[in-house]
Amino acid sequence: MMEPILDISGLNLSFTTYGKRTQVLHDVSLRVGKGERVALIGQSGSGKTVTMRAIIGTLPIPPAKIEGGVIQFEGRDLLQMAKVERNRLKGTGISIIMQDPLLSFNPVLTIGRQMDDIVRYADVRLGSKRNSGLRKATILDTLQKVRLPDGAQIYDAYPMMLSGGMRQRVLIAMALLNKPRLLIADEPGTALDVTTQKEILKLLNQLVKEENLSLLLITHNLGVVREISDRVYVMENGHIVEEATRKDIFEQPRHAYTKKLMTSVLPLYGKRVRNFENNRQSDPKIEIQGVTKEFRGKVSFFSKKYRVVRAVDNVNLQIENGDIFGIAGESGSGKTTLAKMLLALHSPTDGQIKIDGRPLSNFSNSREFRRLIQIVYQNPGSSLNPKRTVTQALTVPLKFCGYDSTQIKSRISELLDMVDLPKSYASMYPHELSGGQKQRVAIARALSVNPKILVLDEPTSALDVLIQNTVIELLLRLREELNLTYVFISHDLSLMRNFCNRVAIMFRGQICEQGETREIFTDPQHAYTRALLSSIPVISEQEEQQKPKVTDAERQAVLASSTALK
Amino acid sequence: MIELSEQASTERFMTSRQMAWFRFRRNPAALIGATIVISVTMLAIFAPILSPSPQSAGSFVDFAHRHHPPSAEFWFGTDNVGRDIFTRVIFGYRISLSLVVGVLGFAVPFGVILGLLAGYFGGRTEFIIMRFTDVMLAIPPLAMALAITAVLSPSLVNAMIAITMLWWTWHTRLIFRIVKAQMSEDYVEAAKVAGASHAHIMFKELLPNCISAISVKISLDAGFVILFGAALSFLGLGVHPPTPDLGTMVSTGSEYLPEFWWEALMPGLAILYAILGFNLLGDGLRDMMDVEV
Repeated sequence: MMEPILDISGLNLSFTTYGKRTQVLHDVSLRVGKGERVALIGQSGSGKTVTMRAIIGTLPIPPAKIEGGVIQFEGRDLLQMAKVERNRLKGTGISIIMQDPLLSFNPVLTIGRQMDDIVRYADVRLGSKRNSGLRKATILDTLQKVRLPDGAQIYDAYPMMLSGGMRQRVLIAMALLNKPRLLIADEPGTALDVTTQKEILKLLNQLVKEENLSLLLITHNLGVVREISDRVYVMENGHIVEEATRKDIFEQPRHAYTKKLMTSVLPLYGKRVRNFENNRQSDPKIEIQGVTKEFRGKVSFFSKKYRVVRAVDNVNLQIENGDIFGIAGESGSGKTTLAKMLLALHSPTDGQIKIDGRPLSNFSNSREFRRLIQIVYQNPGSSLNPKRTVTQALTVPLKFCGYDSTQIKSRISELLDMVDLPKSYASMYPHELSGGQKQRVAIARALSVNPKILVLDEPTSALDVLIQNTVIELLLRLREELNLTYVFISHDLSLMRNFCNRVAIMFRGQICEQGETREIFTDPQHAYTRALLSSIPVISEQEEQQKPKVTDAERQAVLASSTALK
Repeated sequence: MIELSEQASTERFMTSRQMAWFRFRRNPAALIGATIVISVTMLAIFAPILSPSPQSAGSFVDFAHRHHPPSAEFWFGTDNVGRDIFTRVIFGYRISLSLVVGVLGFAVPFGVILGLLAGYFGGRTEFIIMRFTDVMLAIPPLAMALAITAVLSPSLVNAMIAITMLWWTWHTRLIFRIVKAQMSEDYVEAAKVAGASHAHIMFKELLPNCISAISVKISLDAGFVILFGAALSFLGLGVHPPTPDLGTMVSTGSEYLPEFWWEALMPGLAILYAILGFNLLGDGLRDMMDVEV
């Protein structure tokens, strides 16, 4: 075994909230060798972020309390170290890459200023001093390292002028500014689109090699782990339940929890893939004919000029009765705008949408229309009113569709039954429910007035992977029982492969490819589809082999690069 | 089938109300504030029973005990016509609190409804309501109050009207800001998709999310309304003598400074006490409910 740079042993940690003590970490032991890439995986709430914060010393104490254990960094115990000394290691010894590149910047300061602060304060801590010219040289040099060629331009740019991928690169550069020896990455790239995420992971791998870094990766995404680690620790409820090399963990997981995590990852190719067929009689439920949506914004208050953004551009789709129709695309591709037009929340600038054979304009928000099509939102935390109980949430659509109070009552208990929630939940508030349960309530609300079509706007992306599968099972069952048609909007192509019978890929407002799911995934025609599919992190070598191949030139042609200024 | 991990997270040992109470209890300032507010309210309600000489509240004269300094008999001393200042202070609280109830009873619903309308409908409605609010905010409050009371003749009710006309603006702005932020939450759109009416979305969906901010604001407001009312009557635009009003008492008492200092100081301290209570309570509620006002 390599000489360890970070060696945690027997770490016990508890939180005391509202007078009640909860042990969060149980005897956690973890080692990162010099030059090694170690991944710490687990579901949300398993304690991985707490572990990370214990290492970098940003836990609020109290309520947190370290009850025992040693965190050794290069042979010295961080927990015993004087505060001044520990501070000196910040950025120079241990550095961290934050999770969300969109939220980790101060929007009113230039990138250069924010990076300069990091160098300057590290100098202060170390008692050295560099002049501003030298500091700028260091910064430009580091930007070069993360493959951002226009360093000088980025230095003067404000965060909002950079794309998500570029901001992620700048965040990585910030972590590298003071030449750390251990880099901690918290869910790197998961806030970004898959194609950008792929580039970021590649960059991290290169940097670890070039800069001779050690890497501790914290993630819940097994696909990411496969691309960027040498050794893996699996965490469940504050316990390390398994430790193995990357090869072993994917080929022969030992612990039941690890196995469960593995099987919950949906396959993209291979035998485990579920092919979903629609065997109902063909009968078009939704027809989208040449639909275009433009948003106009005034350039400035006094100007008469308008800036036109074409979010959806001449889209034609036909969705049959019983279809689970997937609309895939990255952020900004126009898929959500399309969904909102289906629900008549936006009206198309051009073209026509027919639902159940009738043009949307014939309905005009009537009860009849609401009984035909409903939506389940991405984030149940936002789509359920925090101040209203489950019963109150479910009552709204019923009341406005003309149910009387006794009917409402019996319908609510029927609905809770339908989505497998106990009746006692009727009086609970959303914050008393888990994410999966909230999403069940949201599904129940959408189904309350017996619609024929459900629009599912990334219904599982806010949920943990294990819970995601139970929600998908529920949706499949309900489709059978209630004879539903789904329009499934997502960026998660693995999920789409296993859930939809037909898919359409959206790219910059247009449908670039559509057809039977199996055909699209095995033989994608459009370069963008191929680039997208090849970027999805998978968990086995066989799947890796079956992904479509894209040349760099093709990739450049279709993807917005994460290194060039907008 | 529901996953075990899903079940586990609903295990709870405290309801949200209990948690809020826990935070409140741990906050000494909030507890002091609550105690003060309760004591002021109790004193005001039971003033005729609690006061040592209820007749002092009216046009009672006792020249034998003029300008009597604070003592065991007269806790806060007596004024220029021999009335017990302590009695007048607790009767003064009655006036102050009825002013608070009157002002906030009109200003809050009015301001909240305008804020809801502006935030929910946006566009032209928002422009008209919010610009009108801005115009009202631009008028110096004291000048406005002076103008109104000058036209309507000074009395408690007219002072109330004057303060109300200025006070709703702050609630409009507060609610507007909250509603505007809430509008981007999916639950608003979800309610629209469910076919809910505008009134339902405004009052049943959005308003409950403003309640905690409103209650904090009301608590903080109460102190300022008392202060503003006292300022008006200090200037002679509020309640008429001999009705015991804290502002008037400070004003009359100040004529006898410095030798009979208690006559201005005691009512002044009484104002301070009440305002301090409402502000501490408001701050405590804000910490407890975690809202920005």
